[in-house]
Amino acid sequence: MNSCDKCGNPNIIIKKKQSGQKLCKDCFIKSTQNKVIKDIRKYKLIKKGDKILLGLSGGKDSVMLLDILNSLRKRNIIDIIAVTIDEGIHGYREEGVEIAVRNAKKLGVEHRVVKFKDYFGITLDEIIAKNTLKDGRRNACTYCGVFRRWIFNKVAREEGATKIATGHNLDDETQSIVMSYLEGNIHNLTRIGPKSEIKNKKFTIKIKPLREIPEKEIGLYVIAKELEVHFAGCPYAIESFRGEIKDFIKQLSNEHPTIMYSTLRGFDKIKTILKKEFSNKSIVMECEKCGEPSAAQLCKVCSFLESWKK
Amino acid sequence: MQIKLVIGEKVDLIEINNNNTVKDLLKNMDIAPETVVVKKNNCIVIDEELVEDGDLIEVIQVIYGG
Repeated sequence: MNSCDKCGNPNIIIKKKQSGQKLCKDCFIKSTQNKVIKDIRKYKLIKKGDKILLGLSGGKDSVMLLDILNSLRKRNIIDIIAVTIDEGIHGYREEGVEIAVRNAKKLGVEHRVVKFKDYFGITLDEIIAKNTLKDGRRNACTYCGVFRRWIFNKVAREEGATKIATGHNLDDETQSIVMSYLEGNIHNLTRIGPKSEIKNKKFTIKIKPLREIPEKEIGLYVIAKELEVHFAGCPYAIESFRGEIKDFIKQLSNEHPTIMYSTLRGFDKIKTILKKEFSNKSIVMECEKCGEPSAAQLCKVCSFLESWKK
Repeated sequence: MQIKLVIGEKVDLIEINNNNTVKDLLKNMDIAPETVVVKKNNCIVIDEELVEDGDLIEVIQVIYGG
């Protein structure tokens, strides 16, 4: 008999493959919220008085994160500023921005929309149009990631934020672990985790409160709670190695439903040793052009921008 | 038997066999169950749910490739 393991309600909305647990709508919503709050405490992601810059794309992950962190804001534990980055991806980003605006407004959360064009004078579409893969350009996700991190870090300081929270989920984190390992990028592996460490006072700590929530459950949560969400795939995602890894892990998960959890748990166990052996000890200096923290004379953003001037 | 199937903005009336579950339906359409949430008559259901004559089935894609 399929009924909720917590309250006995016969209308269940999930039967978790990894544990066999069956939950009705209300119990699923509550148990997901409890899990996120428990992880926030376990990994000491947030402390009272924090001002959280929440990266709000309008997609399911960030909208769910806003929904849950807003419960802490309402209890005056934290303050939130939601920030939406408009990379300039025509036909994709516009709707996400509108949905992000409406979500923040509905909850009364302070919100800013910041654009690649305003900060860098160029949109992601323009970057990709001007440079081809044949000419040696990287895939779109590389530029997007570098530029987004730069903006989040800068806006966090502008707004006096103490933490940057993103909606990275269990699938994202598992993909990052497998990708870094397959690429032999052990230095990247040392940086994966629920909370970043700051090596420079200009960096703001980054936290991932949804790191242990599977992507499918995030989709289920936003639909169960009837939250307004932008469901669409980025048109540039097909270029990425991450996309290939995502499909590979999804395929494996069909027959091995606990594989993402075991990948994460195993990684978390060896992370301390990895960090001890492989953590980059390089000195963080300031980019001579923009003043942002950088491992070289020019940060990656300024280095890309300069290369396109030639 | 006939059901009404909604996927995104596409609405179709389709014929299906008796005793089909949501999982069977998704398999016939080559949709991975792990990427969607399914509603039957406006309520979220699990893959094992039986689809019956006259049902309104909505398939909502929540995970996108790449």
